[in-house]
Amino acid sequence: MRSAPRNVVVVGESIAGVTAARELRHRGYADSIVLIGDDRHGFYNRPALSKTVLKDATVDSLSAGGYEDLDISVVRSAACRLDPTNRSITTVDGAEHSYDAAIIATGASPRRLAAPSQQGERVLRNFDDSLSLRRRLDGASSAVVVGAGFLGMEVASACVAKGVSVTVVDIVRPLSRLLGSMLSNQVQQLAAGHNVRYVEATGPVSLVGNPVNGVALANGTTLAGDVVISCVGDVPASAWLAGSGVVDQLGVGINTSCATSLEGVFAAGDVTYFRDGGDGLGRRPFWSNAVAQAKVAAASALGQPCETAPFDDYFWTELFGVHVKVAGPLSLLLDADPVEVEGSLEDRNAILRWTHPDGRAAVVAFGRRMPVGRLRGLASTAGV
Amino acid sequence: MRIGVDYDRCEGHGLCEEQASALFLLDDDGELTYRFDGHEVPAEQEAAGRAAVTACPVAALRQT
Repeated sequence: MRSAPRNVVVVGESIAGVTAARELRHRGYADSIVLIGDDRHGFYNRPALSKTVLKDATVDSLSAGGYEDLDISVVRSAACRLDPTNRSITTVDGAEHSYDAAIIATGASPRRLAAPSQQGERVLRNFDDSLSLRRRLDGASSAVVVGAGFLGMEVASACVAKGVSVTVVDIVRPLSRLLGSMLSNQVQQLAAGHNVRYVEATGPVSLVGNPVNGVALANGTTLAGDVVISCVGDVPASAWLAGSGVVDQLGVGINTSCATSLEGVFAAGDVTYFRDGGDGLGRRPFWSNAVAQAKVAAASALGQPCETAPFDDYFWTELFGVHVKVAGPLSLLLDADPVEVEGSLEDRNAILRWTHPDGRAAVVAFGRRMPVGRLRGLASTAGV
Repeated sequence: MRIGVDYDRCEGHGLCEEQASALFLLDDDGELTYRFDGHEVPAEQEAAGRAAVTACPVAALRQT
């Protein structure tokens, strides 16, 4: 049994990183915490970037007070190397930070489509991306969004709210990969009702212009726009871990204790995927999941057991003023139509429920305001 | 410590209630009641209150 750490380094000023630091203190850890993060805005609430911040010109800060109470040494720089032999992490400012336990919480980076020499591709991941996209949309009359997942549809919603004519392009229908065909139909109707043009591409697309001013489709046509935004998913922000042995092409692999393959190194949030523990857990880049994993990672870093699960199925989106909240295993939504629908999808006020013979259930609140506790309750009472 | 609530921003997710059930209460419609609006958070609830501020995904809570 290794001794309790005296020196914990948390890499990533993310919801996972800050939650882990908070959990360390909550569990009575009183020694050094170093928190490494290079975002000039510090810690903020990322889900609001594609919702509140894009639409509301008055929002110029998402700071919620953060973690002044936690006695943390913040390093305002990016980590660039982890040396598992000497147990140290190097930052680009040249400093070395030794650790007894490290928690990796560097999140994810947006995937990009532009060629290396091509300028002007817009992505949305951090506060500066959001502020700069908002300013750009203020002076734009048209936009093309590549990708009809949550981020793409939220950005399209923001375009509508700002009076910008928007085209969304993807090879699959909006949100169908995550929410299944029934809800995808609803989202598509909702979007069409707000004059969002949806183009289903038959193959890979590419960005044209330098700076980027359009999207070329496989059939030879080009969609032009004042602004082109790539919302084509994210990849674990793990390039800085190359050579450390803790990362592969899927990200930082963790077990259900949020332990990595390296002694004394734990991980949480969008940078991770479950390497064992089965159940097809895979990668789950959602806010609630980052919170759940961070608590487990902090407990494990202290050598303590954790009473809560290392995953959380809750997530949500807001599309054209309609809030969609989901609890329970997402895979259930893809297999079939829901077994129960209460309320009316057309009226944007419904609760949908999917069940699996093994007892699992998933619940979606579509346009109906319902707190997570109640939603989770409905998802955990299959067969009632 | 006090916690300020922006009720216009609140979307009724209820993650604050999961972090600090002694401070935050949501009804079935997701309407939030904050028990110490305009008052100091009791000392023994400060840590939970700060965790709730951190966990709010829409930045509707603020330490003041």
